[in-house]
Amino acid sequence: MFASIPSAVLFGARGHRVTVEVHVAKGLPGFHVVGLPDESIREARDRVRAAVMSSGATWPDTKVTVNLAPSQQRKSGSGLDLAIAVGVLAASGQVPVEAVARLALIGELGLDGSVRSVTGVAPMAGVLADLDIVVPVERAHEAWVVSDARVRPIRHLVELIDVFHDRAPWPDHDVRVVGLDRPHDPDLADVVGQPMARRALEIAAAGGHHCLFVGPPGSGKTMLAARLPGLLPTLARDDALEVTMIHSAAGVSLPPEGLVTRPPYRAPHHTSSETSIVGGGSHSLRPGEISIAHCGVLFMDELPEFNPKVMDTIRQPLEDGEVRVGRATQHATIPSRFQLVAAMNPCPCGEGGRPGGCECGEARVAKYSGRVSGPLLDRFDLRVRVERPVVDDLLSGARGESSAVVAARVAAARTRAIERQGSVNAALSAVDLDVVAPLHPAALALLRNEIERGRLSGRGYHRVRRVARTIADLADLPGDEIDDATVALALEMRTSARPVRSSSVVA
Amino acid sequence: MSPDGRAHLAALAGFDQMTTARLNLLMSGRSPSEALAMARGDVPPSPAIAGEFHRYGDLRRRWAESGRTIDPGAVAARCAELGVRILVVGDADWPAQLRDDPRRPAVLFAQGDPAVLDARRVGVVGTRNPTRRGAQTAARFGHELAAAGVCVVSGLALGVDGAAHRGALDAATTAPVAVVANGHGSPYPKRHRALWEAVAESGLILSEWPPGTAPDPFRFPQRNRILAALSEIVVVVESRIRGGSLITAREAAERGIDVFAVPGPIDERAAVGTNRLLLDGASPAADTDTLLVALGLDTRRAGRRCFDARPRPVGDAAVVLRRCQQAAQCVESVAVGEEWDLARSAIALARLEHAGWLVEAGGWFEAADEYADLA
Repeated sequence: MFASIPSAVLFGARGHRVTVEVHVAKGLPGFHVVGLPDESIREARDRVRAAVMSSGATWPDTKVTVNLAPSQQRKSGSGLDLAIAVGVLAASGQVPVEAVARLALIGELGLDGSVRSVTGVAPMAGVLADLDIVVPVERAHEAWVVSDARVRPIRHLVELIDVFHDRAPWPDHDVRVVGLDRPHDPDLADVVGQPMARRALEIAAAGGHHCLFVGPPGSGKTMLAARLPGLLPTLARDDALEVTMIHSAAGVSLPPEGLVTRPPYRAPHHTSSETSIVGGGSHSLRPGEISIAHCGVLFMDELPEFNPKVMDTIRQPLEDGEVRVGRATQHATIPSRFQLVAAMNPCPCGEGGRPGGCECGEARVAKYSGRVSGPLLDRFDLRVRVERPVVDDLLSGARGESSAVVAARVAAARTRAIERQGSVNAALSAVDLDVVAPLHPAALALLRNEIERGRLSGRGYHRVRRVARTIADLADLPGDEIDDATVALALEMRTSARPVRSSSVVA
Repeated sequence: MSPDGRAHLAALAGFDQMTTARLNLLMSGRSPSEALAMARGDVPPSPAIAGEFHRYGDLRRRWAESGRTIDPGAVAARCAELGVRILVVGDADWPAQLRDDPRRPAVLFAQGDPAVLDARRVGVVGTRNPTRRGAQTAARFGHELAAAGVCVVSGLALGVDGAAHRGALDAATTAPVAVVANGHGSPYPKRHRALWEAVAESGLILSEWPPGTAPDPFRFPQRNRILAALSEIVVVVESRIRGGSLITAREAAERGIDVFAVPGPIDERAAVGTNRLLLDGASPAADTDTLLVALGLDTRRAGRRCFDARPRPVGDAAVVLRRCQQAAQCVESVAVGEEWDLARSAIALARLEHAGWLVEAGGWFEAADEYADLA
């Protein structure tokens, strides 16, 4: 006999619909899985057999053939266990075939028949949205976010068999996710003093600019970066869905309501491998940190300590907003439109932020700062020096402006930018800038002086104008023209990433 | 000494891991060719040298290797090609100040005119990474001392040394002297190639090591002692708590040479070493006149470079300039100190910088004086 069960596998951040076809017929007893399964699926044979037998059903002592269609595509993951088991039961006549019609199944089986959670239920359920879907209880909230039909959370294969035989109604499990209450985003009020760094953070949030903090150890670079997501607006529905899919696919725990609504914040350690940052790995091509940070913030602390190859590989996604991970026979395009925040010391001794402070030799400094390539540095619209907070400020117990107040200004500035040009200011091209950010003659003179003295490149010129546009948006200055004070501040926000030497020329 | 002897001595100085002490051990009571033979291992080592071989395990092997690769004739030819003279003790041109030095070098390589050492001499030293103010002070000393007929002795390093040399060359009156830690022919640091050539052209560059010697870290303290010995007084412009210029100051003090230090703000990392020197009894160098008076010269204000033609700042700019004259400022520090908006502070600093009152490096603004372009 024959049964066909819809299910899905994960590939990149997308689900792919797979039809599990099971054929049970006379022949030498055996259990075969065809249709380009990888090792993880071939292992399913033993799990499924044990689970079926533990659930009180009998394993057919005939030839069982499972085909995973479409069969030219390689498949990976343990999420097909449940579909195979139910397929075998239906094909061997142990459950009525009509009971399983229009039902999709996702889940891994334990040897005792329990249904275990798998990663990527959201994107997989997304491609099965027209069918009622059976998922493990732990992942019900993910399926609910994307499914148009009914979601049937179950814990054990026995429950499913009982339902098919009309012996019991669909089980009503408590699907609340406990212990996953995400702590609130940290508040900017905790940052004491440091007006420059705070302003830079606000500008980064309002304009979507990539931001590099340069400062000595203990100046609060990490603390600042962690407060950026709290300044960003809540994700739009489409973005939220996309982020939810990626998080689900990467196995990042989702909030209890299923949908990721706050911009994610990811801070991979500087020893992270290229694959973990960019994505890839096994056949399912798992999303990397840059994709998990989609629509949010990727924080790279101690930027020069990252593998130079890693730094190079994130340049293309920074530009395109997505990453194409290719392997010999397959490739996946995963969205990765993230805001990059990085932190570094000005030099190995860390004290090079002030004139005359650095003790490092020239060669050591050159080696250290040379690790971050020029093209990557070019991507940072904002390069901000951070100083250690003043001791009196720290001890005063005073608190700065809270995230809520700043976020309101950020939201207003973002609205202004989007009403004007339909995108955040970081996305403005040189041509757009001439239209939306005309310069007051005094401001132009200031920039001309910088360029003539060789301290500002052509690219730097556009970056400064973009940042100046954001500063003006935040201040809600009347008129479109940008004045010289705004440009002077924007120029300040692009300091050199090298230590201060009295004879050095700022790049 | 015969030309051959000089060539042998020059070759010996270029041996791997050669120091002044070892060179003097080799040369005690021997001719250069005997010393060279001993270093190469052609003859059994004297007890002192044998002890040295014993203490530093692979010294014997390194010297044998150097002996095979270094050809005295080639070293002498290279010196001649670069216009470098090989000076030995007893030569008429051997610096008089080094005749009775407790740790007298055995040989000196001189490029330029040794007669410039006949002038009054002041050593100007300091950190390689000074503040803008420190570099300007060094340039000011260099210029005003040279203008007063005083020879500036320094080390051609980045930072204070280079600024002092540039100042002295700019005055174009009294040529400076440089004592360097590497061999002639390969200027170090590379950035100072032009400066190096200018000093060699008009003044004198001395080295204890033959052409081609690398600037190994251990050679710098040795260089500093020659620098100190050649100076009548030494002034340390800026130094952090551990700095090579403090070694120069100590070497000077050991030789009874007066040490001056430029006082700096107590919270300035680049001034901690100089302030400590003052505490330890160095004299404060408030201006060039202090140094000239210490030399017994009095040519008040003769060497001022020019008079200030910049328009006086008013309003915000005046406030900001006053701050910058006290200590380096950035946009944030001015904004916090004056309780201004960041943009107001940024534009005030930018305007002052444009007018030439301030010099910016890495977001920090420091007051510029008439020596800013030499610093």
